[in-house]
Amino acid sequence: MNETAQKSETSDVIDPAAYASATAAIRAEAKRLLAEGLVTAVIGYKAGRRSGTALPTIVTDPARAEDLIFTPACVNNLALYLTKAKKDVAKKGKVAIVAKGCDMRALAGLMGESQLKREDLFIIGVACAGVHAGNGERSVARKCRECAVHTPAGADLVAGTVPVMPELTPVEGQELARLEAMTAGERWAFWKEQFSRCVKCYACRSICPFCYCEQCLCDRNRPQAVESAPRPAGNMAWHIVRAMHLAGRCAGCAECERACPMDIPLNLLNRKMANELKELYGHEAGLEAKEKGPLAEYREDDDQSFIK
Amino acid sequence: MHAEKVNHDFEPKLVAFVCTWCTYAGADLAGTSRMQYPANVRVLKFPCTGRIDPVFILRAFQKGADGVLVSGCHPGDCHYMAGNFHARRRFAAFRKLLEFVGVDLDRLQFSWVSAAEGGKWVEVVTELTERVRKMGPMAEFKDLELEECWSGKLDTPELEEAYKAIP
Repeated sequence: MNETAQKSETSDVIDPAAYASATAAIRAEAKRLLAEGLVTAVIGYKAGRRSGTALPTIVTDPARAEDLIFTPACVNNLALYLTKAKKDVAKKGKVAIVAKGCDMRALAGLMGESQLKREDLFIIGVACAGVHAGNGERSVARKCRECAVHTPAGADLVAGTVPVMPELTPVEGQELARLEAMTAGERWAFWKEQFSRCVKCYACRSICPFCYCEQCLCDRNRPQAVESAPRPAGNMAWHIVRAMHLAGRCAGCAECERACPMDIPLNLLNRKMANELKELYGHEAGLEAKEKGPLAEYREDDDQSFIK
Repeated sequence: MHAEKVNHDFEPKLVAFVCTWCTYAGADLAGTSRMQYPANVRVLKFPCTGRIDPVFILRAFQKGADGVLVSGCHPGDCHYMAGNFHARRRFAAFRKLLEFVGVDLDRLQFSWVSAAEGGKWVEVVTELTERVRKMGPMAEFKDLELEECWSGKLDTPELEEAYKAIP
């Protein structure tokens, strides 16, 4: 991928001013919800210390509702704060959460897996045209270039309107097509090179709203399923297992890829699996909670042409 | 009576993950019926194909298998009602993932072999053995297993340049 070309083409295409109406709506709604006591906390974003950055925050005082913002730097998927890993947040009672379209898909997925209850949540959806690739970066994230959920339908409130966006090149789709056109050997070489950089920091697991298992299979050592040291064999196995466990569940928020300190294109694997499951079983991660994912249900007439 | 024994240059190692109710019984039937099939296959018995985790397949390849066979009851015959239906979806997805990562799917075979199909078991094992024999040893995962941390090199030009750039 030609990174310099990508940068110059897209530098700063999202005008932070375009999200001013969303920010105003989030603040007003948070203030109202907290003042009326409808929720105990609002999970949202506040400005980071450096200009042009943002941080996740939890607001409990209506007076602090003015801290909340929405800008292209609001990259985090806040659904993470509602999973088992962060139990104490959900225990406090009904909470409001600021969600972009992709975060909303994660929330829907978690509801489908009985990790969350819709009635415990007040979802402040954001009409989002796209966010930056990371804090401090100015280019549009790869996931946003092919986003199908700019307006999160099904939220309790949609803040702002989607600003008009210029046409963006689908970098990720192109990369996927390029890989699919390769021979098996070339693909193996590609992934081997990518995974060889992995340092097994498990940032991709920590940031994933769907990696909420109390004990990860990959942490077990008696018997050990996946080697835990950052060596090539264990890296390859970890990334295959991660992609497999997210198949049919991944919401496509691409947080794993953003959190990865070694820039491994993890979302390519996620997207590939999402495409395959759509083709095989017509399943797509959507905004509505589904009781069962594609790998948790079956049909008697499923394709079995690969089985002898 | 026995077929002439041929000495091959390469004897592939195959691992078969089978369900105890159908394929294991089928393989047993092949044995008690005195049917001949390649001794390359190592059979591992599971309660159900639904118990067979994709991790097992990875692990088999890493530890030296040249081919893997997963076999269980025909759809509708599962002892646990739906284990093989779930397995079918899981392995359909897993195959696609392995293909995307760059593994040759000819080394991975799925089959339905019932307790009455001793003949089919022989056929499946023979076919896979011969196919993998032609393909040669599975090098990809084994090479990874032997490789050490990253490149192992601490004196690459890039690192040196980065080191010098530190003010």
